[in-house]
Amino acid sequence: MTASAAPATTNSTTTVRHTGLSVAVAVSMVAALLAVFLYAPTERQMGAVQRIFYFHVSSALTAGTAYFFVFVGSIGYLVHRHDRWDRFAGIAAELGILFSLFVLISGPLWAKPIWGVYWRWEPRLTTMLITFTTYVAYAMVRAYGEPGERTQRFAAVVGVIAFVNVPLVHYAVHLWAADQQLHPPKIDLAPGMAQTKYLCHAAFALLFVYFMRLRLRQERLAARIDRLRLRLAEQA
Amino acid sequence: MIWWQHIATLLRKDLRLEWRSKERLSPMVFFVLLVLLVFNFGFELGGAALGEIGPGVLWSAVLFASLIGLQRTFTAEDADDCLDGILASPVSRSSLYVAKMAGNFLFLLAVELITLPLFGLFFNLTVGAYLAPLLIVFALGSTCIASVGTLFAAMAGHSRLREFFLPLLSLPILIPALISCVEATSLILAAGVPGHTTLWPDGLGTHLAMLAASGVICFFLALLLFDFVMEE
Repeated sequence: MTASAAPATTNSTTTVRHTGLSVAVAVSMVAALLAVFLYAPTERQMGAVQRIFYFHVSSALTAGTAYFFVFVGSIGYLVHRHDRWDRFAGIAAELGILFSLFVLISGPLWAKPIWGVYWRWEPRLTTMLITFTTYVAYAMVRAYGEPGERTQRFAAVVGVIAFVNVPLVHYAVHLWAADQQLHPPKIDLAPGMAQTKYLCHAAFALLFVYFMRLRLRQERLAARIDRLRLRLAEQA
Repeated sequence: MIWWQHIATLLRKDLRLEWRSKERLSPMVFFVLLVLLVFNFGFELGGAALGEIGPGVLWSAVLFASLIGLQRTFTAEDADDCLDGILASPVSRSSLYVAKMAGNFLFLLAVELITLPLFGLFFNLTVGAYLAPLLIVFALGSTCIASVGTLFAAMAGHSRLREFFLPLLSLPILIPALISCVEATSLILAAGVPGHTTLWPDGLGTHLAMLAASGVICFFLALLLFDFVMEE
C-alpha cells in the first residue's frame, strides 16, 4: 500500500486535494444560490416559486447519477470481488437516497401553489417514489445483513436489479398518456434560466463528488481501524 | 442429462411435493379469499366500484398471497439439507433457478385461475368470452412476480430481514409491472359491460407489451444474477 510506504506525503496531498474540493463546493454553492435568487429572471406564470426548479432538477439529476453508480459498483463487485466496489456502491446508494429526498421534498413544496396539492399520482412523481423505495430496500439489505462477503454479494445482486426501474423515471414523461402528465416533457428556458440551471448542476455535481470522497475516505479508515484492531488482538 | 431434463426433473419433484402436501396452493388461495374479504369491508365494494378498484383489489390480493407463497420456494428444501444435495449434484444453478421459477409461475397461475371465479362472484362479473385476454395478463404478471420473487426468496433466509426481505425488495421492483396488470385488467373488465362486449379493447396491446418487456427483463436479469446468490 502506498499509504504505509510514504504516509506523510500521501496524507498531505490528500488533504490539499480535499481542501481544494471543499472550497470549490462552497464557492459553487454560494454562486448557485446567488444565481437562483438574484440572477435568474422570474418566471412569468409561476412567479418566484419556480426558483425551486433549479435545486429540484439538479437533485434529481444527481440522484439518478448516484443510482447509476450503485449499478456500476455492484457489477464491479460481482466481477472483481473487492471491498472497494462494495463500499462505492453502498455510499452511492446513501447519496442517491439523500438527493431523492431533496427531490421528493422540494417537489411537493413547488406543487402546492402550482398544482393546488402537495402530491399528485402522476407518472414521474410516482416512478421517482418507486425508485426511492427500491434503494431504501437496498440500504436495508446492507444494514440488516451480517457483515461479510455474503451480504456484499447479495447487496450487489440487489444493486443490479434495482436499476431496472430507474430509466422509467426518465422516460415517465413520454411513456404514459399526455393527459396524466404534470411534468413537462421538454422545457424551453430563457438564457438566464438555462445558465443558472447549468451552474446548479455543476454545484450539485461537486457536492456529490465531495460527499462521495468524504464517505469513501471515512469507510476506508474504518476498515483500516478494524484491521489494526484485529492485528492488535492477535499480538496480545 | 442435459439442462432441460434437469429442469424437468426438479420441476416434477416440486410439483409432486406440492401435490402430496398441498402446503402452498391451498393456503395461498384461502389467503386471496381473505384479502378480498378485507378489501370488501375496507372499501364497501359494490357494483359501481368494480370498474374503479376491482382490478386493483384483485392484483393486490394475488400479489400479497404470492409473496407469502414465494417464501416457501427454498424453505421447503431446508429439511435434511435438500438444497445442499441439489447444489452438490451436477445441476447448473441456472437450471435450478428456471425450475424453481417455473414452479412458482405455475402455482401463481393456478391461484389466479382458482380465485377468478371467487372474484367474479364478489364483484358480480358476467361470465363471457371477453375474459379470455385475462389469461395473457395472468401469464405475464405471474412471469414477472415469479422471476423476481424466486431470486429474492433464495436470499431471504440469510438476512436478518427474514420474512421482510422478499416483500421489501419485490414490491418496489414489481410495482411498474403491477400497474400494467391493473390497467390491462381494468380495460378487459370494462369491456364486459352489456352492450359493448369486445374481445380486444383499445390500448390493451400497449399494457401487455409493457408487461411482456418487464417479464423478459426480470427473468433474464434474475437468471443471470442467480449464480451469484447460490455461490456457496
